[in-house]
Amino acid sequence: MTIIWGGLALGAVYALVAIGYNIVFISSKTFNFAQAQLMMVGTFVAYTGLVTLRLPVAVVVLLATAAVTLVAAVEERLAVRPVEDPETVLVTTLGAGVLINGLTQVVWGGQPLAVPFFGGDGVLELLGGRVYPVEIALVAVAVALVVLFGWFARRSVTGLTLLAMAEDREAAMLRGVDVRRLAFGAFAASGALAGLLGVFVGPKTFAVATLGASLALKGFVVMAIGGFGSMPGTLVGGMVVGLAEALAARHLGSEFAAISVFAVLIAILLVRPSGLFVRTRERLV
Amino acid sequence: MTMGLWRGLRALPTWTVPVLCAAVLLLLPAFGLGFSATRQIQLACILALLVSGLNLSLGYAGELALGQAAMYAFGAYTAGLLSVAGHTDIVLQLAAAGLAVLVVGVLTGMVGLRLGSWSLAMTSFFLVLIVPDVLAVFDDRTGGRNGLSGILGPTLFGRPLGPTEIYLVIAVVLVAWFAVMRNIVTSRHGVALRVLKQSPVLASSMGISVFRMKLLAYALGAIPAGLAGALFANLDLYVSPEAFGFVLATTILAAAILGGVTSVYGALAGAAIMQFGPNQSSRFQEFALVFTGAFLIIGGVLLRGGLAGPARRAVARLDRAAGIRPRPGAGAAEAAVPRIRGTELVVDGVSKSFGGNRALDGVSFRAEPGRVTALIGPNGSGKTTLLNMVCGFYRTDSGRILLDGARLDGAAAHRVSRAGVARTFQTPSVPDGVTVLEAVAAGRYSADRVSVLSAVLRLPRFRRARRADVAEAERMLALVGMAELRDEPASSLPLGMRRLLEVARSLAASPGVLLLDEAASGLDEDEVERLAELIRRIRRAGGTVVLVEHNFRLVLDLADDIVVLAHGQVVAHGPPAEIETNPRVLAEYLGATEEVS
Repeated sequence: MTIIWGGLALGAVYALVAIGYNIVFISSKTFNFAQAQLMMVGTFVAYTGLVTLRLPVAVVVLLATAAVTLVAAVEERLAVRPVEDPETVLVTTLGAGVLINGLTQVVWGGQPLAVPFFGGDGVLELLGGRVYPVEIALVAVAVALVVLFGWFARRSVTGLTLLAMAEDREAAMLRGVDVRRLAFGAFAASGALAGLLGVFVGPKTFAVATLGASLALKGFVVMAIGGFGSMPGTLVGGMVVGLAEALAARHLGSEFAAISVFAVLIAILLVRPSGLFVRTRERLV
Repeated sequence: MTMGLWRGLRALPTWTVPVLCAAVLLLLPAFGLGFSATRQIQLACILALLVSGLNLSLGYAGELALGQAAMYAFGAYTAGLLSVAGHTDIVLQLAAAGLAVLVVGVLTGMVGLRLGSWSLAMTSFFLVLIVPDVLAVFDDRTGGRNGLSGILGPTLFGRPLGPTEIYLVIAVVLVAWFAVMRNIVTSRHGVALRVLKQSPVLASSMGISVFRMKLLAYALGAIPAGLAGALFANLDLYVSPEAFGFVLATTILAAAILGGVTSVYGALAGAAIMQFGPNQSSRFQEFALVFTGAFLIIGGVLLRGGLAGPARRAVARLDRAAGIRPRPGAGAAEAAVPRIRGTELVVDGVSKSFGGNRALDGVSFRAEPGRVTALIGPNGSGKTTLLNMVCGFYRTDSGRILLDGARLDGAAAHRVSRAGVARTFQTPSVPDGVTVLEAVAAGRYSADRVSVLSAVLRLPRFRRARRADVAEAERMLALVGMAELRDEPASSLPLGMRRLLEVARSLAASPGVLLLDEAASGLDEDEVERLAELIRRIRRAGGTVVLVEHNFRLVLDLADDIVVLAHGQVVAHGPPAEIETNPRVLAEYLGATEEVS
């Protein structure tokens, strides 16, 4: 059970990355390769705030949110907006990710930094397994975000506009939707989310410069399983990936953790190429 | 004077400069390079091989493959393990490494290409991530994270190779691969890849299997990475997982973007810059990622086409300054439509719904050889949907589509095209980076098939097909009155010309059925007349023409049969004289109810 709790928490982290991907994907049909790196910056800022500067948690959360929103906004302006076709966006956002990776390495060094969790680190007994408070928090945050997003998308004007834009960008434009502003807003929001989550993710994964690449890929696998643009899909995908990784590491050895996730990805692509939660659509000429 | 020199240079065959560069590269050791300079050049050559393979899949097929570093590792370990086992022959190792990565490329490509544009990028990137893990699983053989040591020095036909000979082997492999790459890119397969990158829909309507073509580019692109790996293992006699990580993967991409992904020799420039730039000085080592990232953004945003872009423009400017003009097209005089073996197209009770919207409801008609069948109807009546069903882009819900009695419904788009159905599009789709002549010749891709191997080796079969391609394309251009534009970039044409180009391209395949989707819209009067005359000639030559058109005058003028669609149903069917006076048609289509009553 301990393994399962650990796997679920890890899966929640991946689901959180995928939620970030989805926000950008829904609003602009582009894929922000650097999403995981944004989250990584969040963990580093959380470390600096909590450990180096010993600031109160609320201040650190605000600080991390503001900092990563800024980074995301700059990324959108420099690396996403000037680019037209989605393939090049893939390249430039990857570039942004690499750049962020390099800068964090220069600023914080290459060693993993332990980020303390504000909810304490006493081990709890739950359903016959041991679990850290941060692990419960991660799962709760992921579920809460998906529920919140579902509510937001259906009940608020902005949410509905986002959905309309995802459906047909030009039609939304003709209806007077400022598509570019909204896309920018969504991008910044995905950054804000990544920053906010730093205090949750950091305690589980450590703040380390290699986090980006691995989170980016696992987040993608989650998205591939759940379906592009599907928020509930991220929860299922996260669960599958997290459990596969944790169980493989426990029973087959740590070198099989990533390999098993890769196997899951291959299987999903072979069986259900559009993901579990998205219906296939016939292509249009 | 300088212009004269330039003219002389341009008069030489296009391979002269690359061959000279290759000769210099091979002769470099004779000038007594130092150890460090030699090593840098060797590493730049290896990087160039990796980059060139990426160019094939990213630049030409439009698929981002981030797994070159993993293929590189695979090649290196294949060669290293062979060497440890005592098989030190470099040719054997290169062959084994190339073959091994080809297999990995085909397998991962088949999976990764199933989910559109990002999935190959991610699947292949994932390969890079699991390289250390896979090596750790087999650590008794590969040495796991400690690396593989004990690689023996390479031999060639039983003779050990010294440092200079190793340099020569690397240089020869590099030159050979770039020759292969150039031959692929300049062949009809290269044009087919560009068509694919422009529009998969267009590609499949020309008989190109999108999946197979992308797989081909991706798997072929893995080969140089495998060769590079084998060379690297023999250069260092030690390989460890750290050499093949995230940093290398992004360096390869940055070099490709810098040099220009849609170019053959840009890979050399990009690799040289990355090797002698960020990879070079250890002082900047910690900033290497920062530089790579910045290069990726700047390259993607500003340098569209990389360094190859400005280079091409410079050549074009010098050409203009020196007064070099493309040769005028030959064969403009004899422009007769060849005899066409038209086939009979039967649409029988075809229905199609999109969600709750019934786009087609039991539509039947017949298009016969030597006749022009027009489909008319108001917007949204299902004309283009019907064409898309015939072409295999949509599946029929019910009903049959027959081509000379053979079932066509359910076949994939590229199969329909190969069965002899050619079409033009409402919005003309013209690939970037090819000349008008090449764009038209691309229409013959499926008509006259030539293997990639035969293109690489320039076998007689390839040369024959190429001559036929050029001759046929020139004749088609003459038919549409565009012979003098043969060497212009196809994407620079105005709308009317693009439409005529599409018609020429569809005709180049000598199709059994020609589907023209609003071919006359956007043409000026002169062009409409030229198009009408061309359609009449195709009919006289025995072709089957299906015309979707809004220009009612043109339809009445040209068509033998008119099928009128409204709300997805056939409301009238008959010769022009009948349709012109049919009250239902006037009501539905022309909105002239008051006149009829």
